[in-house]
Amino acid sequence: MDKKLAVYICSGCGIGDSLNVDKLLQLSSDEQKVTVCRKHKALCSVDGYNTILKDIETEKFHGLAIAACSPRVKTEVFDFPKNIIAERINLREQVVWCSEPGDEDTQMLAEDYLRMGIAKIKNISAIKPYIADSISSDILVIGGGITGITAAIEGAKAGYNIYLVEKEKELGGKLNSFYKQYPANEPFNILIDPIISDRIKEINSYKNIKVYTSTTIKEISGQPGNFDVILLNGKEVKIQVGSIVTSMGWEPYDANKLSHLGYGKYENVVTNIEFETLIKSNPDIQLPKNILFIQCAGSRDKDHLPYCSDYCCSTTLKHAKYIRELNPESSVFVIYKDIRTPGLSEEFYKEVQKDNQVFFTKGTVSDITPENNQLKVTVKETLLGDDISVKVDMIVLATGMTPAGTEDMNLTYRLGKGLPKLKYNFSDSHFICFPYETRRTGIYAAGAVRAPMDVASCLEDASGAMLKAIQCIEATKRGESVHPRAGDKTYPELYMDRCTDCKRCTEECPFGTYDETEKGTPLVNPSRCRRCGICLGSCPERVISFSDYSINSVSAMIKAVEIPDEFEEKPRILVFVCENDAYPALDMAGSKGLKYSPYVRIIPVRCLGSVNKVWISDALSCGYDGILQIGCKPGDDYQCHFIHGSELTQTRGENIQETLTTMMLEPERIKTEFIEITDYYRIPDIINSYVETIEDIGPNPFKDM
Amino acid sequence: MSGVTAAVEIAEVGRQVILVEEKPYLGGNVIKMNNYFPKLCPPSCGLEINFRRIRQNSRIKCFTSTTVKEISGEINNFRVKLLHKPNFINNNCTACGNCTEVCPEERPNEFDYGFSKTKAIYLPHEMAFPMKYSLDVKYCKKESCNKCVEVCDYDAINLSAKDEEETIEASSVIIATGWKNPDAAAIKNLGYKDYKNVITNVEFERLIDANGPGGDKLLKPSDGKEPKEIAFVQCAGSRDENYLPYCSAVCCSASLKHALSIQNKYPDSKVKIFYIDLRVSGRNEDFLRKVEENKNIELIKGKVAKITESEDKSKLVVEAEDMLESRKIKSEADLVVLATGITPNQYNLNIYRSGEGFISDKQKDGIYPVACCKRPMDVSSSVKDATAAALKSIQLTS
Amino acid sequence: MIDISPDIEFKKELKRLSKSSLNECMQCGTCSVVCTLAPEERPFPRKEMIWAGWGMKDNLIANTDIWLCHQCGDCSTHCPRNVKPADVFSAIRQISYQHYACPKILRKIVNRPALLPVAILIPVIIIAGILLLAGTFRIPDGPVNYSKFFPHAWLNSSFSLITFLSYSFAISGLVKFWNDLKRSRPEAKPKNGLLISLFKNRSGILSHSKFGKCNTQKSRKISHFLVFYGFIMLLVVTAFAIIAAITHNYPLAFTNPFKILGNVAAVMLVIGLSIMILNRLINKNSINSTYTDWSFLISLFILSVSGVVVEAARFLNWQSAYHLYFFHLVCVWYVIIYLPYSKFGHLVYRTVAIAFANSIGRK
Repeated sequence: MDKKLAVYICSGCGIGDSLNVDKLLQLSSDEQKVTVCRKHKALCSVDGYNTILKDIETEKFHGLAIAACSPRVKTEVFDFPKNIIAERINLREQVVWCSEPGDEDTQMLAEDYLRMGIAKIKNISAIKPYIADSISSDILVIGGGITGITAAIEGAKAGYNIYLVEKEKELGGKLNSFYKQYPANEPFNILIDPIISDRIKEINSYKNIKVYTSTTIKEISGQPGNFDVILLNGKEVKIQVGSIVTSMGWEPYDANKLSHLGYGKYENVVTNIEFETLIKSNPDIQLPKNILFIQCAGSRDKDHLPYCSDYCCSTTLKHAKYIRELNPESSVFVIYKDIRTPGLSEEFYKEVQKDNQVFFTKGTVSDITPENNQLKVTVKETLLGDDISVKVDMIVLATGMTPAGTEDMNLTYRLGKGLPKLKYNFSDSHFICFPYETRRTGIYAAGAVRAPMDVASCLEDASGAMLKAIQCIEATKRGESVHPRAGDKTYPELYMDRCTDCKRCTEECPFGTYDETEKGTPLVNPSRCRRCGICLGSCPERVISFSDYSINSVSAMIKAVEIPDEFEEKPRILVFVCENDAYPALDMAGSKGLKYSPYVRIIPVRCLGSVNKVWISDALSCGYDGILQIGCKPGDDYQCHFIHGSELTQTRGENIQETLTTMMLEPERIKTEFIEITDYYRIPDIINSYVETIEDIGPNPFKDM
Repeated sequence: MSGVTAAVEIAEVGRQVILVEEKPYLGGNVIKMNNYFPKLCPPSCGLEINFRRIRQNSRIKCFTSTTVKEISGEINNFRVKLLHKPNFINNNCTACGNCTEVCPEERPNEFDYGFSKTKAIYLPHEMAFPMKYSLDVKYCKKESCNKCVEVCDYDAINLSAKDEEETIEASSVIIATGWKNPDAAAIKNLGYKDYKNVITNVEFERLIDANGPGGDKLLKPSDGKEPKEIAFVQCAGSRDENYLPYCSAVCCSASLKHALSIQNKYPDSKVKIFYIDLRVSGRNEDFLRKVEENKNIELIKGKVAKITESEDKSKLVVEAEDMLESRKIKSEADLVVLATGITPNQYNLNIYRSGEGFISDKQKDGIYPVACCKRPMDVSSSVKDATAAALKSIQLTS
Repeated sequence: MIDISPDIEFKKELKRLSKSSLNECMQCGTCSVVCTLAPEERPFPRKEMIWAGWGMKDNLIANTDIWLCHQCGDCSTHCPRNVKPADVFSAIRQISYQHYACPKILRKIVNRPALLPVAILIPVIIIAGILLLAGTFRIPDGPVNYSKFFPHAWLNSSFSLITFLSYSFAISGLVKFWNDLKRSRPEAKPKNGLLISLFKNRSGILSHSKFGKCNTQKSRKISHFLVFYGFIMLLVVTAFAIIAAITHNYPLAFTNPFKILGNVAAVMLVIGLSIMILNRLINKNSINSTYTDWSFLISLFILSVSGVVVEAARFLNWQSAYHLYFFHLVCVWYVIIYLPYSKFGHLVYRTVAIAFANSIGRK
């Protein structure tokens, strides 16, 4: 322990009133041997900050601890040179604001936090980011439909070199077979010509876009900043890119499964896409007199696509409109579940409704039978007050979208060739606030491969995904993580001598950071890493660490706490809290003045998934009476920012219970609670009731050993 | 939400961003929401991440309590005139709360739409970013009281602060001025003005919020009791030529979300949702199914056209035609939530507007409107739009 | 089960007559809720609006609910899509009674603005013809005495005969209408036949209770009440007058109770009609008025005013009294003889429809 350290204790915001700050200073200098120990009545003031700066210059210490408010506030004030390790100790929100002022236990709580903070500084090192030697700023766009083309153009406009790869002979994708597009903006009374041909022309005007048609991807390996891509178009072409936009598009739902709606049975039953293609190929075709559209054909249907494809309602409105323009004799019938023209598109619905020969009703098609060269369609549950039947010459099924598979990306990742899928095979983000997050860092999905969407939405999506791709390259150049720990410059460092090739890290990393040798030895790709520390939590051999977060640093914090002996009747509960939601909730509980037991010792963790079993056994053998973990909700509607971090806590829990059994300890000594960030009012109850449970069980028998 | 997203996305590419917000806190309408559909997760979770991204990113300069007076110039060379509202409380504020304790004046809390009160000097809400206090000049007695100034240890309060103008330069401008609820009182037959227990959906967000006026209970505004039967009135003003001719895109999903939130809190309560069309997009269909499967939530196709009170005035009566049954129904409820829609916030700026006051997509080069000031959309779409605009805004400067 | 084959021409006619949009209806049901007359079960006008949108003429022209509507306009005021169900209903009613009126040629003559001269010329020629036959087609000398100009026997017999013919046609239409109504609701068996139903339903019609329920235009109850009773009273007076012309001395003395009743009735009509006309002018936006509406209102108004004027002319011995009398007779023809073909027909069709509604228990 040759690090020269400093401790600054703030006495403002009630800290000085509630705690004996001088005793804390004394503890720092006498017990912890800290070189510089000062108190200040407002460390965040200009004077406070200048005091620290001056010390940094004169005392040349390695690390400093600021014992004041939560690290979530005044972050911009406590900004120090990067070579100094600076640690914030939360005496305000999590000590004095949530405990009885002047109480012996409150003082002990503060003392322990001081010890833990100092222990942490001693056991972490200054951050040196991982920056690869050569980082490519080029971007690969996979899929040359409207989304891919738009992404390429928008990226090129921002000055990046783009490779656009399309497996078909020509660019354009689905939109090539479109006769018209429906309007997404004013004016809503005219259909627009497909924009695709102009876009394809535009793409040729950019020197920094290289287009590969009739090309597939043989392999993608590497990591953000250094993806090695092998393209196949007769021969192999090797390129290197910094990031990737995947816009592999969609396929219409297989209408052969819709025989109950007459598809495949009757010649005059076609899908909306077939209809569109038909008109595109021959706009002068003689359209039949009566055409009926069945909305949600195979959509919103648990036997087919359970979801809504978002584009079918407006597409049918478009069809109705041009049918009427092409043949004024035609009548159009639309049978719907709900007309979904959200937002300003309502205007388009109204526009088509104006026509005298377009007929709408909610209803369920119950029967289709041929009758004199026509099809007699029976509709139940209509708004007309009765079942109805209509004789028509043609039926168009408004079928939905299914996402194209992304396996053709041929990622050489340990965790699979394609992008992880969310639900119904879409490669989407699960987050409302972060729609572009995929679980493969540096690869961003755009367009209908990600979620059902129409052309207008694809255009936005293309730009957004391209921005994220650019951002990822720039962050990688700085050695920073991307979302959600954006700006984090630490990365996983592996001490391979101890590795047993158990593969837990490669399997549990939600983002596919680790590849494997044939033997199963993990190969880390630091730029793929999101710095959640789940691998750190998974490793039984203490192989993985981050410069400011490691098995040792947390163990040291655990061990730094003074455990009173069992006769003092002061239990100690170790609480691991997720930094993302649980920690802010604790802060808010404090700022709302909610009091809870001072017997808890809180350690923030990057994710509950990063909690290593070693810490648990360390804590139990040190004499903690119980361990509480508080994290984000797992399950279908999970809120874990690292996808399955909090879920892993549950699966690993069984393993840990075994440890308890071997140590002859009660299972209640470890408990996990899930909360939301806004659940701060539940904190006192969660903590206090757990403390009660532990008090009932009695002290940890390992206390004095 | 859109502005914050655009700002962090641009800054993380490595560009400089100035974020201007009229209110004393970031997060707009979204921070007032109880939860998001379809996961029923709290918005402050994602916002906390974004605030952290702002806190630690020196490329973002953030001005709260500031409005834009004028945008002039051209792409790569915009001059934006800002008006900083009086900075009564400076950045010395540690949010210790001593001032609030001594403040003798109360004000209706706009954050809770007036359903609760705060002192004249107040923390806008528990998650406020920046985490500092605010002062409502309308209710503050200023120097004649001066109690807060006396009690502040950090020299953070200056009651004589004046507003200041400042002109900044920018190469591009993203407009994310967002939306507001239209005035529900204008819809005469729905009784918003006449009955206390007829509230809007945004008000409901606060009432159901555990950090809202009722704590973790949902309380009726009239008598502070918990409602047992709740009715949701979809398209309250939306899809209506007499009010908003367009669809507001989010209200269907929002009401489904509210219904489930109520059921989570009060599993025995009865919820009815009256609608014209259920507009729940894409995979949120699962969410709709979850609601359909809940036997205490009833979805009724038919627009509510009348809200009255029962004879003993203990209940509200909503009337609609259940169209699938072709029957007029009168349904009693303790609380009625009007799914009012989205109208764009209006600022006197030299920008093009389209119908209904929304800002047009087509602006001069370098000006990019995003999200709900442009058209009604949900949070996820807004974020998507903001990210797309982030790319546009860096194209010119590279 | 309804087999649907939309009648586009019917839709176009509806839109032309009602001047309302039709297709924009998005089926929200607001109209049914705000309508105070619509029954709880199968309320109108929402379902009729989708029928109209789908061009389902057969369902609409023989439809009781069309006649339960008193066109107060509540639905039109509240419609979120600016559709005017009240006007669409009015147009459907018009198409309906014109559908049942025969001969068709008269229906056209009465309801087409272009044929107004023909509609007027027919009574002019026929009345002139009768006068020629009676040999009195000239201005008599002496104090004004209309029977010198148009002998009562001629007048009463000829007008009665023509009215009888016209109404006979009308009744055949009504019977057809009644039968179509029955067909439109096969599941609902009317408890009584046409006549008994009519009798049973007298009080609702006589008290005008339905009008009172309308929110948008309260004054309509009063005006319709005035016109309705004014007209009934005049019919009674006329009937008495015809008898009096045979059995008593005619013209009646000014103080004769029937004469007084006639005069009061005339005043009621003039006031009621004035309110109606003003109403239509003021509420142009919420209530659409077609040619048929105007021609009926104005002809009845002119009839009432001319009646008063003709009476005055007699007492005051005006020079032009006989010209005015001739004009008045043309008006009588226009209103009374054309009744089955003009909007006046709604009096009978509505009565029949409401009677039917009551007989099947629909209120």
